[in-house]
Amino acid sequence: MPDDRKPMNSRIKKRHFAFVAAFFLIQIAIDLAHSVTAFPFVHYGMFSESFPAPDSLLRYEVIVNGKTLDPADFRIYRWDMIQGPLAAFDKQVQTADFAFDKEKFRAALPGIYSRISANLDNSPALAANFPEWYRNYLSSLLRRPIRTLLVNRARYRFEDNRFILMNSTPWIDRE
Amino acid sequence: MITRTYYTRDRSFLLAIYFLFYYAVLLGFFIDDRLLSQYHPIFFNYNRDLTELSLIATGIPRYMIAHPACFAVADILAFLLPLPLIFREVRHKPQDIQDIQDIRFFPWPGIAFFCYLSLYLLLDDIFWQIHHEPFILLLLLALVWTTDQTDRFYLILKACRFYFLYIFVSAAIWKIARGSIFNGEEMSRILLLHHTDLLTGDCTSLTCRTYSWLIAHPAISQALYIAGAMLEASFILGFFTRRRDRLLIALAILFVIADLLVMRIPYWTVLLGVVPLWIRYPAGPDPRWPGSPDHPKIVLYETTHHENLPALLDLSEAQFEQVTVFLKEHSYHNLCGDGSPEQRWPQTDFFIQTADCPNRRFIRQLFRFIRRHGYTHLHLCTLDNNLLIFSLRLASIGPLHVSLTVHEVNEYFFRSFHTLRDWTETIAKRLLRGQIRHYHFFLPAMADQFQQRLPGSITVFIPSRFYSGHRMASQAPPFRIVVPGSVDPNRRNYAEVIQTLSLIRTIPIELILLGNAATDAGATIDAAFQSIANDQIAIRTFKGYIPETTYEQVLTSAHLIWSPLNIHKKSSRNSPETYGLTTASGLTADLLLNNIPALVPAGFIAPGPFQPAIYPYRSPEEAAEIIRRFIEDPVAYTALRETIHQAFSYFSKENFSPAFAELTRD
Repeated sequence: MPDDRKPMNSRIKKRHFAFVAAFFLIQIAIDLAHSVTAFPFVHYGMFSESFPAPDSLLRYEVIVNGKTLDPADFRIYRWDMIQGPLAAFDKQVQTADFAFDKEKFRAALPGIYSRISANLDNSPALAANFPEWYRNYLSSLLRRPIRTLLVNRARYRFEDNRFILMNSTPWIDRE
Repeated sequence: MITRTYYTRDRSFLLAIYFLFYYAVLLGFFIDDRLLSQYHPIFFNYNRDLTELSLIATGIPRYMIAHPACFAVADILAFLLPLPLIFREVRHKPQDIQDIQDIRFFPWPGIAFFCYLSLYLLLDDIFWQIHHEPFILLLLLALVWTTDQTDRFYLILKACRFYFLYIFVSAAIWKIARGSIFNGEEMSRILLLHHTDLLTGDCTSLTCRTYSWLIAHPAISQALYIAGAMLEASFILGFFTRRRDRLLIALAILFVIADLLVMRIPYWTVLLGVVPLWIRYPAGPDPRWPGSPDHPKIVLYETTHHENLPALLDLSEAQFEQVTVFLKEHSYHNLCGDGSPEQRWPQTDFFIQTADCPNRRFIRQLFRFIRRHGYTHLHLCTLDNNLLIFSLRLASIGPLHVSLTVHEVNEYFFRSFHTLRDWTETIAKRLLRGQIRHYHFFLPAMADQFQQRLPGSITVFIPSRFYSGHRMASQAPPFRIVVPGSVDPNRRNYAEVIQTLSLIRTIPIELILLGNAATDAGATIDAAFQSIANDQIAIRTFKGYIPETTYEQVLTSAHLIWSPLNIHKKSSRNSPETYGLTTASGLTADLLLNNIPALVPAGFIAPGPFQPAIYPYRSPEEAAEIIRRFIEDPVAYTALRETIHQAFSYFSKENFSPAFAELTRD
């Protein structure tokens, strides 16, 4: 190896090592921040949060053509895709289109926020369009037409190793 | 260049596995209607991720919702963008370092793929909450496609290996730090929350009833949780040593299976991260420097036929930087007749199996040694026993160039199912034929036979030893005939020798049976020979193992070697073999010790350069005539020795170096 290559290789190696070390340092820092991530730096808690006994448990009951869908009848991912949009839309509604997150953004970077705020909002017509959109998507998931669709937000209590239905509120109803 | 670089092999391996995973992920999306064009979202989510927030801020998600054709474009790009990269890798696969230097590498397909994969994963999370965790390694490993530098390639792999370990260790640390591991009802509550949908339904399935039972028995479910945390914590081992990487791979698979069964989370994509644990990293930072794959190291394993080692050792020392031999103590002491093995092969390390070391322990030590010291090549000089163990070890050792000396061609393909050993050996031989492509033989005819049986294999002929030169025996009577090899009536036809001697009993002859005659069969044969001894014919036999020094001294002082082989014989496992065609006798090794003519039964096939030394006979009378001619015409005999000397000069290290290079090249 030529004499002048050694220090150059050494410098490159040091730079690579620094790059990798920096990656892991950011990863650890993000891990410690915990309430927020910055892709590709994500948390790997794997259910490490200490859960208190739940007061109630929410379930989205999906009734298609008069028949309640049972998770046992679906592959895991397919069931996720049945439930996921409902949970996401519910959250969007409950948080007033993620107002808290946007407010934090506005407080931290007001100048940028004012310029891009329009990009941050979901369509105001979402609430009106979601039920029909969900019916269409669910129909493609189930591979059959949907004549009637009813989604209930059911709350359960777990007591003496049994689930007791507390209430069930109709949420989406498409004839 | 002896071998294609490990870098090329590792890169090809990663290419295959990586894109298998990648397209399996996309196929999974398609099957479950999760492609963006199938999902066709009308709103986006905030997932408390700064990068996602930045992407939302650009207006791209909002624009895509307003222009749904973008979703189809996004999916099509996800399927097509890797293709230029894959074609580049496949078409321009470098064969050696010179190729690596010559091929101009464009990093843009790799960079484009990496950036787009990041974008696609972000969009998936923004629109349908893919949850990034199992996909981060898919992204990080994509960085290897942005470089053609070997040191960067391995650095990225090493970083990904650490990241994979970090995933598990981080999860364990959080479980301890947040106290969930000490919360006696943690797991039952997780199950309760996680499986609410399932549990509040009919709950008639076995899975659901199992979850209910676990929720009702918090101590047991918590024990599962703690076991999971311990399993995660065990990955910390990987930060200190790479020796347990295979174990960690097994634990990762166990974790993924347990996660699927207990949590119904298909976390399989994270298993892509086991690839950096599987790959064995080169010792040096660059293949052009010592200690790296282009300065390969070979281990030779030989437990039975040490007489066949000299040529392989000579060639290994010439072509490899480090040579190590694993052999029995007895073999070591009899490896060569002149001097010690260390003197003859000073660059070679010898690992000796002592009498109290069982074979399987020795095999374990062999593979541990290969792994620990980054050996690139393994040549199995003999594989008589423990075939299944070898095939399983080879399957799990990772990238290693393996070659094998086949002593009996038919035996290697022979199938038998009478005993358990037959079963295991038949299965093992099938596995070995899939694992090993490079084979070595002591006769060219064997190599040809094998090639026909296993097309696509690389077969080479290299003799047991190289011709060491001319050592003329004394011309004074008696005429010395040596019959080398074990005194075994199944292998050799001694009756023909006795009949021949009876025909020439007036000529002074010393006949030496150069093999252990202390066996039952040997004693009978010895007695038969002694019965024809007279004042002209002297018979000399040996009792017990003959040291190599004695063996070589006796052999080199012979006037004639006689190999009265039974051309058709049965192998040790009863497969039919033909000497000279499907199996080799020790004759070819014995011949090359000197320039002595040899008597062999007609039908024995010897390669061209051996021909001047080979004197076939069809009957005792013909054999007697040949012997008589040698004795009665010393001038012709001396000329013959010179002719043989000239012919045997072909058996030099230089002439067989290309064959050995072929044997050890990928």
